[in-house]
Amino acid sequence: MKNSAPENPGAHSRRTFLKSLGTVAATAATAQVKTVAAELEKANAEKIIGPDAVPVTLNVNGEKIKLLLEPRVTLLDALRNYSSLTGAKEGCDRATCGACTVLFDDAPIYACQKLAIEAQGHAITTVEGLAKDGKLNKVQLAFIEKDALQCGYCTPGFVMSITALLKKNFHPTADEVKHACAGNLCRCGCHPHILQAALKAAGVEHASKTEVVTYA
Amino acid sequence: MKAFQYATAHSTSSARELVGEKGAYLAGGNDLLGLLKEYLVSPETLVNIKSLPGLNKIERGEKFWTIGALVTVAQIENNAEIKKVFPGLHEAATEIASQQIRNVATVGGNLAQHSRCWYFRHRDVKCLKKNGDLCYARNSENRYHSLFTGNDCISPVVSSLATIFTALDATAIILRDGNELRWSMAELYADAWSQRLAHNSLQPGDLILRVEIPLARSRSVFLQASEKHAFDWALVSCAAAAEIENGKLKSPRVALGSISNVPHQVAAANEFLNGKVLDDAIATQAAAMILQGAKPLEFNGYKVPLAETLIRRALLKLKGDA
Ligand SMILES: Cc1cc2nc3c(=O)[nH]c(=O)nc-3n(C[C@H](O)[C@H](O)[C@H](O)COP(=O)(O)OP(=O)(O)OC[C@H]3O[C@@H](n4cnc5c(N)ncnc54)[C@H](O)[C@@H]3O)c2cc1C
Ligand code: SF4
Ligand code: FES
Ligand code: FES
Repeated sequence: MKNSAPENPGAHSRRTFLKSLGTVAATAATAQVKTVAAELEKANAEKIIGPDAVPVTLNVNGEKIKLLLEPRVTLLDALRNYSSLTGAKEGCDRATCGACTVLFDDAPIYACQKLAIEAQGHAITTVEGLAKDGKLNKVQLAFIEKDALQCGYCTPGFVMSITALLKKNFHPTADEVKHACAGNLCRCGCHPHILQAALKAAGVEHASKTEVVTYA
Repeated sequence: MKAFQYATAHSTSSARELVGEKGAYLAGGNDLLGLLKEYLVSPETLVNIKSLPGLNKIERGEKFWTIGALVTVAQIENNAEIKKVFPGLHEAATEIASQQIRNVATVGGNLAQHSRCWYFRHRDVKCLKKNGDLCYARNSENRYHSLFTGNDCISPVVSSLATIFTALDATAIILRDGNELRWSMAELYADAWSQRLAHNSLQPGDLILRVEIPLARSRSVFLQASEKHAFDWALVSCAAAAEIENGKLKSPRVALGSISNVPHQVAAANEFLNGKVLDDAIATQAAAMILQGAKPLEFNGYKVPLAETLIRRALLKLKGDA
């Protein structure tokens, strides 16, 4: 059964496709039906699509969002302008300010410098996805308590960077917080309070409220 | 940005086929999306190479380590073994851009990134590097530009990885038309030295597969001086690597970034340092050799003493004195 699976037309077209490309995957011929199906999926994925809009499915905050997007649409654009998720902000649109920071499988990235089409298959978390059962997460709460914002435009980005840091480093030092937040800029100059908030959320708060956190 | 077609490649041969002569490979996208947004490049097809198998691994070997082209800068930063075996590489990775960028930026993309000259990056300026007939930087705002150049473009190479890979004598393996080429860092950037239009020696369709780093130098350091404390490009970067046996330098290499359109290395200085017991006088002499022939422009003269200091500091740190 294993080896005598009839070649279906799909597998054939896969082979022809690969042949036209040159070397690879002679092994596909003897592969199990299941593998052939997986290979087929890959073959389809190797097709050129666009430049017109194509279906794109994003997994944002645990929900599937189906969109029709041109390949050139950035993840930030897809969130803000095609999905009404305006939590991630657009500041520079050039990977220099951090306002658009979202989590990409738990790692903070700039949504402005990633194409939506390549975010498929990854878990995206925006600031809208942090609260659970109507309760803000500890970073958000610490931002309120430490008055870590003025206009608030940079806040979602900082909150995402710090949330990501605290997922892998439970008790960061002030220097580690600064390293993690170096890619986020606050135009209002709230950095000292933001640092306090991060440390508070991590439970490594400085003893005195008036203690000055120095920047090296 | 202009509209483009898009494809995901699952093998290097299909990647080559899909990219054709007018496409571009998409890795982390940090550089490419910036270029696209300013209309500096308009590829017909973007070929996502992040699904190519086997290229996202750091592999230990007896004689050398292999770093796949899709390994991210964050992977290098977070690798405890790299920190021990190639401390300079770890230092370079840690200082590149921001966490958000390091999480997606790849080794291949970092090496192949384009010029950061602000005239080049401006969509309305058509300078020499864009086939225009004037270098705007030469007689104008050139504070971030080169002290050395092999042509009339003075835009420096800025890849931090290129600087440390040069000091570590790493080899880049390039796939060209089905054949693997083995290039030193000098070869990877040779065309940027000789041709104003080039950022490196890659031709359309050339794919960086991996970088091999020999285990010949157990000591390595990377230092950079920037205007900002963090998340900033280097004004000058300096990497040094060597073995120290009986207090003497063995196979030392010093390389500088952001002062030439190639990673700047002077063979005579490496030879001079070989077998020497390092002290400040030797380090100062080496720095003078490395910077000999520098041609400062109106606003980048500060780079000469800055580079000299970084070379001395890097060498003394290599020895363990600083
Ligand atoms: C604000 C800011 C600060 C920065 N600071 C630094 C710094 O201090 N030091 C530093 O080194 N960098 C710095 N960078 C640059 C950043 O590190 C690079 O943009 C990034 O490493 C590029 O990698 P990528 O994978 O995102 O490349 P991409 O943008 O995907 O690709 C870049 C180019 O390389 C080509 N390419 C990609 N992979 C391959 C491959 N395998 N083979 C052949 N060609 C390929 C692409 O076609 C494209 O032309 C900074 C960037 C920004 C925006
Ligand atoms: S330095 Fe090079 S890239 Fe910059 S303006 Fe001159 S020619 Fe153009
Ligand atoms: S909007 Fe993405 S970094 Fe500024
Ligand atoms: S609070 Fe205004 S930019 Fe940070």
